Amino acid sequence: MKIIVFIEQIVSTQVKLQGVDYFDSTRVSEDDLVINPSSKNALEGALKLKDQLGAEVTAVCVRGLKPNKALREAIAMGCTDAIEIADENIYTDDPLLLAKVYVEALGKIGEFDLVFLGVEEQSTGSYAIGAMLSEKLGLPSVLYAEELEVIDSGYKVGHVLEGGRKIVAMPSKGVISCSDSQYFTPRYTSMRGILTAKRAEIPKWTAADLGLSSSVVGKEATSLIEVSFSNIVLEKESYIIKEGEPEEKVENLLAKLKEDEVKLGA
Amino acid sequence: MVKTLVFGQIREDVIEENTLGVLNKLTEISGISEIIVALFGHQIKDEWITELGKHGASRVVSVKAPELEVYLSRPYVKAMLEVIEKTEPMLVIAAGTVYGEDLIPRLAVHHGVSCAQRINDISIVGDELHFHTPVRDDQAMKVNRIEGAIKFATSRAGAFFVNENPDGGSPNVESFDVTFSEEDMLVKHIEIKKAERTVNLKDAKIIVAGGRGVGGKEQFQIIRELAEILGGEIGATRACTDVHWIEETYEIGQTGQSVSPDIYIAAGISGAPQHVSGIKAKTLIAINTDEGAAIFNFADYGIVGDLHVILPILKQKLQG
Ligand SMILES: Cc1cc2nc3c(=O)[nH]c(=O)nc-3n(C[C@H](O)[C@H](O)[C@H](O)COP(=O)(O)OP(=O)(O)OC[C@H]3O[C@@H](n4cnc5c(N)ncnc54)[C@H](O)[C@@H]3O)c2cc1C
Ligand SMILES: Nc1ncnc2c1ncn2[C@@H]1O[C@H](COP(=O)(O)O)[C@@H](O)[C@H]1O
Repeated sequence: MKIIVFIEQIVSTQVKLQGVDYFDSTRVSEDDLVINPSSKNALEGALKLKDQLGAEVTAVCVRGLKPNKALREAIAMGCTDAIEIADENIYTDDPLLLAKVYVEALGKIGEFDLVFLGVEEQSTGSYAIGAMLSEKLGLPSVLYAEELEVIDSGYKVGHVLEGGRKIVAMPSKGVISCSDSQYFTPRYTSMRGILTAKRAEIPKWTAADLGLSSSVVGKEATSLIEVSFSNIVLEKESYIIKEGEPEEKVENLLAKLKEDEVKLGA
Repeated sequence: MVKTLVFGQIREDVIEENTLGVLNKLTEISGISEIIVALFGHQIKDEWITELGKHGASRVVSVKAPELEVYLSRPYVKAMLEVIEKTEPMLVIAAGTVYGEDLIPRLAVHHGVSCAQRINDISIVGDELHFHTPVRDDQAMKVNRIEGAIKFATSRAGAFFVNENPDGGSPNVESFDVTFSEEDMLVKHIEIKKAERTVNLKDAKIIVAGGRGVGGKEQFQIIRELAEILGGEIGATRACTDVHWIEETYEIGQTGQSVSPDIYIAAGISGAPQHVSGIKAKTLIAINTDEGAAIFNFADYGIVGDLHVILPILKQKLQG
């Protein structure tokens, strides 16, 4: 059994914007580059099946400033191997173009059973890639999965739903996007994993290796055109207390609430 | 003039709230010429059509089939593609629910274009549609346009208000049939596990809500105690209800309850958009160990600190 997990690397959303030029890679430290949180849920989904059924798990990363770092972490978590796809000719801000790259990557990988992805890319709030990929592949899919159970005909999957959870059955070949649930809570890297990751050889594929050019997956090919990008200036002023002993902090808060005539309590 | 097709979603036997919000938004934009709503299901109720008309739909196109009883990607994509072909809209939009976010990107793929995601505004500039999406925990706004004859978009849950006094008329109604094959039904519906709603938080004036930072079932006690002292209700994130630290009824957000208290205390909550979208509080107070947590962007007041240290002190001080 072979599982492919597509992960993304993002600049941690804890890195706050200081003007929109913070994206300038020289201002982003290595520590700021993290695996997209829900990509980690996807890794966990695949690794659970690896533990259970002995699957082979390949992590693939197309997006990010140092995808190699993310992939080594994926191996340290337990993935069998990893593939980096990096090329200036790939525009990673359009989910449709990413889906095109993923389809070709799967083609080059060859046989596979399941594809796992995170439910969304946290930095841009983009969720469309899972749906687009499964549509392009013409494979059955379940998005926003929260739990998964192996059954004879494939998988029984519970997914997020307004007002509760929906349970469906899907065949054994398909696409699943994983959310931040108890079942998909990511494991930590292990000492052994970290050593394996250090030694791992991670092949690097370019767009050309996948038979793609910038006219197909580059910025010139996108139908999603950025008109503007601007900082949101918060209108409301927040009073956030960071300094002091706990007791002082609470007193500070209560005094401020009193001053502002905000009544705590009925 | 922009002819628009809206994916009509039904939840608990009525038109889903965010869908009404999208309709309201569309009626406010002068360049939107016609609002068509697609309705799917095992049955199509007259009151849904009346409701859609009131909220601005001038035309309702429905497809009735047993395969459409509950949302499943394949049959819904197939039905919606046929409605698109029949109605030739310039904009296809769905409220950003789980189903809406599943459907729209798939339709876009079939039309060879990308889609705008989780928008909180649309504007028409010249003859271009501009889609506004907040990114990076609402720190920045990205405005996109989409190339191609048909544009696809989803709204962000909770982004648009529902018009409380809609005054639209009755829409033209048409229906047609779509046939489905076994291939369309490879993913099979088993059941919907509805969260039990035993407590209604809609009218609560004060809510003390806990997130994953609370750390366990027993640890939720401090949230309960504080809520009690303040004469308020408790609330929680999906992360907590998912692991049964607290009953599902207390989930707040896109898939939980929507609340509008005077005071919302968020303890150990990171501030995911799906949670925050359910809160319209006059005053939000956040307690989180992580100074960078997104919840502080939404908070009026906050303490950076451990909730298990801060909340007991707060409780003690409030008790006098
Ligand atoms: C389609 C969809 C719909 C969803 N709908 C909802 C919804 O309706 N409602 C909802 O809540 N979620 C919903 N979610 C889940 C949502 O995306 C987040 O995963 C969830 O809200 C995170 O919950 P959290 O903030 O409790 O946990 P986390 O994101 O893990 O945050 C925990 C926070 O606690 C802080 N913390 C840790 N320890 C302490 C301490 N001792 N003291 C103080 N702070 C501490 C941490 O710094 C962190 O910020 C949905 C997800 C999807 C995909
Ligand atoms: N002004 C910008 N707006 C949006 N994205 C940008 C901008 N400048 C750079 N980027 C992209 O965003 C990536 C890093 O952002 P992220 O990982 O999403 O936090 C970079 O690798 C760039 O490709």
